[in-house]
Amino acid sequence: MHVEHPVKLVVEDDLRRRRLTVFFRLLLAIPHFIWIFLWTIVTVLAAILNWVATLVTGKPPAGLHKFMCSYVRYLTHLNAYVGLVANPYPGFVGEEGEYPVDVTFPGPAPQPRVKTFFRIFLAIPALLVSSALGGGGNIRFSTARKGAARYGGGGGGALGGVCAVLGWFASMVRGEMPKGLRDAGAYSVGYTAQMFAYLLLITDRYPNADPTAMLADVPRPPQHVVRLVGDAEDLRFSRMTVFFRLPLAIPHIVWLILWSVVAWVVAILTWFAILFTGRPPAAFHRFLSRFVRYSLHVSAFVYLAANPFPGFAGVQGSYPLDLELPEPGRQGRVVTFFRIFMAIPALLVNSALGWGLFVAAFLTWFVALVRGAAPWGLRNLSAYALRYGAQLNAYGYLLTDAYPHASPLEGSTEMQQPAFDEPA
Amino acid sequence: MSRGALGRAAAVIVLASIWSLAAWLLWSSSVVPALHLPHVDEHAYFSAAVLHAAQSFGRFQEILWVISTLVELAVLVLYARYGARFARESAAGRAGTGMLLGMLGFALVWAAQLPFSVAELWWERRHHLTHLGYVSTVLGNWLALGAQFTFLCLALAIVMGFARLLREWWWLAGAPAFVGLALLFAFVSPYLIPTHRLASPQLRAATAKLEAIEHVKHVPVVVETVHDVTSLPNAEATGLGPSRRVVLWDTIVSGFTPREVTVVIAHELGHLEHDHIWKDVGWYALFAFPGTFLIARLTRRRGGMAEPLAIPLSLLVLVLLNLIAQPLQNVVSRHLEAEADWSALQATHDPAAATALFRHFVPTTLGEPNPSTFDYVMLENHPTVMQRIAMAKAYATSAAQSP
Repeated sequence: MHVEHPVKLVVEDDLRRRRLTVFFRLLLAIPHFIWIFLWTIVTVLAAILNWVATLVTGKPPAGLHKFMCSYVRYLTHLNAYVGLVANPYPGFVGEEGEYPVDVTFPGPAPQPRVKTFFRIFLAIPALLVSSALGGGGNIRFSTARKGAARYGGGGGGALGGVCAVLGWFASMVRGEMPKGLRDAGAYSVGYTAQMFAYLLLITDRYPNADPTAMLADVPRPPQHVVRLVGDAEDLRFSRMTVFFRLPLAIPHIVWLILWSVVAWVVAILTWFAILFTGRPPAAFHRFLSRFVRYSLHVSAFVYLAANPFPGFAGVQGSYPLDLELPEPGRQGRVVTFFRIFMAIPALLVNSALGWGLFVAAFLTWFVALVRGAAPWGLRNLSAYALRYGAQLNAYGYLLTDAYPHASPLEGSTEMQQPAFDEPA
Repeated sequence: MSRGALGRAAAVIVLASIWSLAAWLLWSSSVVPALHLPHVDEHAYFSAAVLHAAQSFGRFQEILWVISTLVELAVLVLYARYGARFARESAAGRAGTGMLLGMLGFALVWAAQLPFSVAELWWERRHHLTHLGYVSTVLGNWLALGAQFTFLCLALAIVMGFARLLREWWWLAGAPAFVGLALLFAFVSPYLIPTHRLASPQLRAATAKLEAIEHVKHVPVVVETVHDVTSLPNAEATGLGPSRRVVLWDTIVSGFTPREVTVVIAHELGHLEHDHIWKDVGWYALFAFPGTFLIARLTRRRGGMAEPLAIPLSLLVLVLLNLIAQPLQNVVSRHLEAEADWSALQATHDPAAATALFRHFVPTTLGEPNPSTFDYVMLENHPTVMQRIAMAKAYATSAAQSP
């Protein structure tokens, strides 16, 4: 039976942003950076105490638990502020329920000693995912030139960082954060909160990378014309094809490269055709649809989002993770003329998601080899990244003029749940 | 005997005659005169310690080869029996599923061979013949599987495509297609090897002289850097037409005397002089036709090569046929190498350098100068070192007797 994650992200943000505070956001956050730095030092010491106490008593002491909760909550507020996931200036003590992007924690509960003892090692996969999602706040250890260890917390990162940068420009222009970027940012902030809650012994539940579960209470955006379809429940993997996944994919990659050369030529011809007639020629649209669908099939296979070996033709309905693409329709000439430049923000988001996809695939490889099944959360993270990539491809290859939607909730009508409790 | 059977027998006889004629034409182009090779005693050329080291090194490799071949066959037998189950891991249609089954078969063989590859590496490292590490070798092998898979997919796409069109007669189109690919590969392969120009002015001058003598014009002699991977010496003549070149490993350029390297260059130019690359492809064609025919016949019970379920069996048949053909291919290869050796002797008129070169090979490669019959039949694609020394001696004798 599925159990909701005890560390829950609450998003009550209305997307509106003050241009003045957006413009100076990083400067305004400086006092918070100094404060989190000091707080992190104390937290590291407190975490060691908490670890010892939990090992001895089997349960974190209430005082230390509360301290850790405040720290992670404050970190979440700060991440949300710096990442433009929320608008108001956060408080300095991590007050519960006082910020539009908040996090709720369970009370102190008994935790298995073995899991507690190895917590820092067990957290490594979650740390990898967190660094890929880049909600910020990840403690970074590095070695300075003279060998002194430095550490600190703060914003920045892959997906969260890209969403923040793009969101900064959008908010400055519109006075509003695009919902897609806000949701993506919230997802990365939420995952980071769950990761820290696990690392700091607030809970022994592993962070859940499933974006739809993370943002379960957030309103869904309208459906995009490019939709990912497939059997969400099917997580089974063949260990044999998992082990040899990369070599098995090489013929597909070679074929994809060859096909992409022709697809580029056809896309250029389509570009001219749309500029003159306002719509893509049906034959070109069909060809490019197949190419975009085939790209998705190959990516899903390579990145372990789906199990079977895909076909080489990109036929609709031939693969468990498939794409629904629009029929050729009218497209705006201006949007088409500037398509390649307009795609740049989406390319940035896609590259950030690509890192997440890589990390998810890397971790899934080990899990699927052992269990013969993919982890639910990581599979859904991969599906999110693949869906966005497919929407970007459809946009770039002129199948639609609908911009890719960055929200992890796009395409999900309701919260999907696995049939069993599934970490990561 | 029925008319049909008579017709089939006649067809087999005609085809066998054509095959024999083609083989005879390829074989009889020999430039080596009918020499009576003198007996040479290996102990006269090598110390007991060197002979012992070579024998011990070769024995281990021989045993390893036998066991790994048996394991490979066992894996393929099992895969032929149960491999079709993996078809359910495919959403790729008939051809794609065939490719997947083919790749998985190779993957299993790779996995089964891995311990032997590691053992061989350990043995070579122990004898200072390679500098490769275990991790990089295993990882490199794993990634190299991808390249193998690509070629396998291409081959299976050809076979399954023709089999769908021509049913069990696919081999009539498939064999020429593979010959075409072999020609293409022979042409392209020199461009895939990173090389640099031969630096030594002495060797460059010798090369120019040899090119004139052996009537091989404008063939670049280049050097491939391998010393960071292996200490083994090697050289090869590759390419067709404008892509022809002689590639020397830097281990041979730096580890052998200029006179010895000159013999190597003359040997490789000899391959080009006598169109050995073309002949290689010719021989490949002679094996490809009966080979593909046999695969087509033996996979009929699984629905023929148009069916993906026949692929696991076809891999077993392919490997078995290769194994059976290996002694024959070695005979052909030794014949061509002997021609090149003779060309080198004629071009350099330096049997002493040739003898020194062949002697030098033994301590540097730990190759047995006089291997066992099994080794000679199954594994040796060059004349033995003693045969090569004997040829140099015979040349010296005949040169001394000629006016």
